[in-house]
Amino acid sequence: MAEHRLLFIKEGRACYISHLDLMRTFQRAFFRAGISIKHTEGFHPHAFISIALPLSLGYASRCELLEFTLLDGAPEEVPEKLNPVLPEGIRVLDCYTGGRPIKELAFVDYEVTLEYPEEKVISQAKAALEELLGRESVIVRKRSKKAKSGWTEVDIIPRIRSWAVERRPGALVLEGVLAAQNPGLNPELICAALQQEHSDCAPGFTRFLRREVLDGDGKAFR
Amino acid sequence: MDRRLEKILRNVQKPARYTGGEYRAVVKPREQVDTRFAFCFPDTYEIGMSNLGLRILYGVLNEMDGVWCERVFAPWGDMEEAMRREGIPLYGLESGDPIAEFDIVGFSLGYEMAYTSVLNMLDLAGIPLHSEERDGRWPLIVAGGTCAYNPEPLAPFVDVFSLGEGEEVTVETVECVRRGRREGWSRRELLFHLAQIPGLYVPSLYQVTYREDGTVAAITPEPGVPALVTKRIVRDMDSAYFPVHTIVPSTEIVHDRVMLELFRGCIRGCRFCQAGYVYRPVRSKSLKTLAAQGRASCRDSGYQEMTLSSLSTSDYPPLVELCDDLLEYCRPNHVSLSLPSLRADNFSMDLMQRLQEGKKSGLTFAPEAGTQRLRDAINKDVTEEDLLQSCRTAFTGGWSGVKLYFMLGLPTETDEDVLGIAELARKVYQTWREYTPNRSRGVRITVSTSCFVPKSHTPFQWEAQNTMEEYQRKVDLLRDALRRDKSVTYNWHDPQTSFLEAVLARGDRRVAPVIEAAWRQGARLDSWSEYFSFQRWMEAFQACGVDPSFYAHRARAKDEVLPWDMISAGVRREFLWKEREQCYRSQITPNCRKQCTGCGANRLNGGVCDG
Repeated sequence: MAEHRLLFIKEGRACYISHLDLMRTFQRAFFRAGISIKHTEGFHPHAFISIALPLSLGYASRCELLEFTLLDGAPEEVPEKLNPVLPEGIRVLDCYTGGRPIKELAFVDYEVTLEYPEEKVISQAKAALEELLGRESVIVRKRSKKAKSGWTEVDIIPRIRSWAVERRPGALVLEGVLAAQNPGLNPELICAALQQEHSDCAPGFTRFLRREVLDGDGKAFR
Repeated sequence: MDRRLEKILRNVQKPARYTGGEYRAVVKPREQVDTRFAFCFPDTYEIGMSNLGLRILYGVLNEMDGVWCERVFAPWGDMEEAMRREGIPLYGLESGDPIAEFDIVGFSLGYEMAYTSVLNMLDLAGIPLHSEERDGRWPLIVAGGTCAYNPEPLAPFVDVFSLGEGEEVTVETVECVRRGRREGWSRRELLFHLAQIPGLYVPSLYQVTYREDGTVAAITPEPGVPALVTKRIVRDMDSAYFPVHTIVPSTEIVHDRVMLELFRGCIRGCRFCQAGYVYRPVRSKSLKTLAAQGRASCRDSGYQEMTLSSLSTSDYPPLVELCDDLLEYCRPNHVSLSLPSLRADNFSMDLMQRLQEGKKSGLTFAPEAGTQRLRDAINKDVTEEDLLQSCRTAFTGGWSGVKLYFMLGLPTETDEDVLGIAELARKVYQTWREYTPNRSRGVRITVSTSCFVPKSHTPFQWEAQNTMEEYQRKVDLLRDALRRDKSVTYNWHDPQTSFLEAVLARGDRRVAPVIEAAWRQGARLDSWSEYFSFQRWMEAFQACGVDPSFYAHRARAKDEVLPWDMISAGVRREFLWKEREQCYRSQITPNCRKQCTGCGANRLNGGVCDG
């Protein structure tokens, strides 16, 4: 098992680095920083790392967690060694020993910014979103690799722990604490629900930001 | 980041190709920059970022004070469509600024089938296609790379072609542009000054006339413009710039590893190979330089894979010492070292086994021709015994797959030579049966054939290409011959692309309108089967009244003026003709280390050649 953990930010241009590419990026960054970490065995040994809860392409995050095992040196020194050799938009905030089992990661706090080209739609959209999230149940059709039809239906409401909607210039901001795993909820599905139920309130562009990962009690997960 | 761009990135495949921001991408403060250079690669990010030349010139340019070089690649179809829809012009990856505002836009030309992408990129940038439509308000369009040795099909679109290695001449080009700006030169004055720099060819300053039979009558430079442009080379490879500090892409590219360049040029002189002639003379880096650059490159990039690169790696004299030295570093650091382009000889096999260290990936050999007679004719210095001996070693060592590469349509080829490919494949199979320690595992022998494309500046520049029908007949002949060999898989290239390559590789200025017509009908990314349409090209030839067969299928006379005669790669034309005659006598020419045969390329290097 991995013994160490990194907390890092992924934002700006780095939002478009895919999960797999991000793992490769970190493997190389460790090597160029001169940080020895545990490798896999076998013919093609590679740095052994894993990143919790793969982030969707295009999303920003302030709370990504990467597990690895440091072979020498102090964890506290890792951020200052790693940050100068990371691509733009990726920044390590912390490195520490241990960390709680990933299965205890229960919720993700998201900020979803729905941008509208016209101000007048925003009030209407705010009401629509509030109405939607206030319901007992909202079923959304979602693409599925497992289902034979290629589609499955999901009720998003039970997977939302709390939410708030706020109006800002040119945009509507949804703050939502959503289930992280087993099963989790991608905030994109809330937007899909809005599109499905109130198609006239669909935003021009939506930004997604992971603000924090939380445990079952709603405390920051590390 | 541009909001419109952000919006479309959400909906395109592999968006990391379009964002920049990779580790070691160079971003300079705009106020400290006086000259902006867009380095354009007319293919996708994954292909372009794998190009060592791009990395070298990017580094050289960005080392210049006040110069900012950015990268630009051809967007994939979904991205192009979105950019056109949203009105986003082609931009530099580093700044996101439209390249139409840059001072110089340079294209790297490595493959003829990328020509339509050059036009498409100019159009996406909003830059007029034709040199004559662009005055000093537009960027200077330059182009270099192997295809520049016959620049004529792109002559109307490109202002300046850069011949040979760009490390020095690219800097001189930038300095000339700066001087022109200071002194207020017109575009025409700038072009005239650029034409004085050795290695630069300015097509608009040369007039080409044709005879009634369609061949070139004369290539006449304007007064004061050199009649012959000789390519540039770097003399001392040890002091030449090498991109130790280079961009590490954040998404997977084709050659996603450190590429350590051992030497330039090639001692072999295979008569079909353009690279083998135009990169002469041979210039090696020293063991010491390479050992240091290899280590530093891995450390700086974090790549845990390194490959040794050159036209024929086993011809680097201290290769064993180099590998031993690098392995000292690679082993403890989990860096794997690989050797591409090995020859089928004992020496290479020994080395390969040592490097593999247990891993058994596939083995690839390129005998190029099926019979010894034809191999002699093309000067491919590999014997059947070399090949079979290598296979013996490999099969004994437990390998169970071999790929064999051949060309069809080589000059002097007969059906016997084509059938010889099947014979050779069978002999490889017999070798496996005799030497494998474990027959039950089976063996996979793959035979691949491509269609020979005659190239400029080679002994075969005068040759006719086989017609597409003839190629198909030869493919059918070979396929038939291999039908009963269950352990042999036969793959062949379609002759259509090779036919077009042949036209573009030896075309003159009259081919340019065809490229433009094909592009206007939607041609781009023609090296990708997703986009290539042969039909579209044939319609373009027809619409322009150009007969492609004239360029592909016609044998040129010895004294014919060739469209690229104003360009010298350093090798004398008489030498190439002599080599052609040697081919028709099935005579080999010894490799440059056995005996110098006086090709002339060493004149570029003060008489020194490391061959």
